[in-house]
Amino acid sequence: MEKKKLILGVIGADCHAVGNTILNRAFLDAGFDVTNLGVLVPQDDFIKAAVEVGADAIVVSSLYGQGEIDCTGMREKCDEAGLKNILLYAGGNLVVGKVPVEEIVRRYKALGFDRAFGPGTDPQVTIKCLKEDLGVE
Amino acid sequence: MELIEIKNKKWSDDEFYKVRKEILATWETGKEVDLDEGIAYQKSLPAHKVFSNKLNKAKKDGVTLVQPRAGVGLIENHIELLKHLQDEGGADLLPSTIDSYTRQNQYENCAEGIRREKEGMANGNFHPFLNGFPAVNHGVHGCRQVVEALDTPLQVRHGTPDARLLTEITYAGGFTSYEGGGISYNIPYAKNIPIEQTMKDWQYVDRLTGIYEEAGVAINREPYGPLTGTLVPPCISHSVAIIEALAAAEQGVKNITVGYGQLGNQIQDVAAIRTLEELTEEYLHKFGYNDVNVTTVFHQWMGGFPADEAQAFGVISWGAACAALSKATKVIVKTPHEAAGVPTKEANAQGLRCTKQLTNMLVDQVVLGSRVEHEKEIIKAETRCIIDKCIALGHGDIILGAIAGINAGVIDIPFGPAKCNAGIMLPTRDNDGAVRILEMGNLPFTDDLKKFHKEKLEERAKAENREVSFQMVIDDVYAISKGRLVGRPKY
Repeated sequence: MEKKKLILGVIGADCHAVGNTILNRAFLDAGFDVTNLGVLVPQDDFIKAAVEVGADAIVVSSLYGQGEIDCTGMREKCDEAGLKNILLYAGGNLVVGKVPVEEIVRRYKALGFDRAFGPGTDPQVTIKCLKEDLGVE
Repeated sequence: MELIEIKNKKWSDDEFYKVRKEILATWETGKEVDLDEGIAYQKSLPAHKVFSNKLNKAKKDGVTLVQPRAGVGLIENHIELLKHLQDEGGADLLPSTIDSYTRQNQYENCAEGIRREKEGMANGNFHPFLNGFPAVNHGVHGCRQVVEALDTPLQVRHGTPDARLLTEITYAGGFTSYEGGGISYNIPYAKNIPIEQTMKDWQYVDRLTGIYEEAGVAINREPYGPLTGTLVPPCISHSVAIIEALAAAEQGVKNITVGYGQLGNQIQDVAAIRTLEELTEEYLHKFGYNDVNVTTVFHQWMGGFPADEAQAFGVISWGAACAALSKATKVIVKTPHEAAGVPTKEANAQGLRCTKQLTNMLVDQVVLGSRVEHEKEIIKAETRCIIDKCIALGHGDIILGAIAGINAGVIDIPFGPAKCNAGIMLPTRDNDGAVRILEMGNLPFTDDLKKFHKEKLEERAKAENREVSFQMVIDDVYAISKGRLVGRPKY
């Protein structure tokens, strides 16, 4: 079966590079076709890359708290670009401050994301969700 | 691409004021800045609000001052936060940590964050959107409100590759210390900016600092020590600190604090702070800068933290102990909320009080002995290999040498996201938890030094019954957040 295609990157004005390097490696090892855009990625660049490669999912990292502003309008822009129903994930330190993970998930679902993950999530958890949502195995 | 001309030479007034005019026009608050009025305002500040005064006294007295990181979006909230850290946390020095949009010069996004936060305050459903204090948007007068509300010296802490407007506004606004530098705020904080560009933009910051100094206003400058905060060997961060200190001194900076991020092995951490001060002074004298006050800053562990707050206090305490034992002039403090991101003011004050307990208890103790001396010799030999190679590559010009050194991987910062960084060198811990080098890349070390690192890592590999490999690096990156220092294969 053809590999599922992921767009990976750290959104906005955020330059946390270590987790991005490790996620990239973990997703590749799990059998995904990964386009890694690295750090400091504008919202539009995720969408352009997703259109270009025909991605199955966009996996957004944000470690610095300002992800809520960066991710606002992303689902609508995906729709406009013809990426109807593309799987949208976000993970990291997604809000400013120590907030219960249920509240973080609520805020990101309201922004149109399919799933949101709190700080310190093991890459294997995300991989399991991706496989489930994309119907792999 | 436009060719950027640069050398390590003090800017002429013509050069400086031509660029200055352009910088002040890049955002509307730039027009609030008047240099003479800013200097007069700085001179009106009482002596106890001047950063360098407090640092110089601490160095003389042999004490380690405590300083938090902190910054929020709205002026009133920012003042409330800093007052709490001053009064309840006992902070000796205060920061204003700048938000990440300002760091990328995205002032429109700051305006949106401020708008949403103000709306929340008005509606009674406030939650924060900005991760720091947007000083450019708040302008000179906003900064002065903060300075005037507090009784403690204030520093700008950020991560801004092009910080020229931020410097103008915060200096005129009454801040007396400023973090950053052309390498330390490029490689860890940027992706596509040529190193020549940031070196030049930071010459501007240093020249502005020099102009204030020449007018009788002491402003402290602090190259950013921890870099990527991820297993950075002391010789790498020392080399960057020394280069940025030399570049700053050429532009007229007189008060410099060089920094280092805790690695976790007590011997290595003490040796690192001692050598950082000694080597910086040695190279400043070598290039003829004989009137610079050099102080040091020890950053508590900058990598991943345990989520459990009790465990986090353990990490904070160990950093506080090593900072005090190394006789660093100040320590930058972490909080029990580190794993989750930006802390509450209460959690931040807890980190300060925890740290102060240790720095007070250990103020009269010193760590000496042959192991510290040996480690100091290793760090000095390594750093001299790098700096002397850069001096040679630049034919005596340290900025040209640093640029050539970065391009060649003579200076190589692990996990640096910038394209200008070589990213070949790989660090990992030895069997005692000290950080050594697994893959040398193009570091210009002697054969003896290369052999030392190899033997140290083979000792660990043997103890763990596995080969020296990249897996060790990954294990070490996550070890502290999982409750250990060395990433052993089986927990």
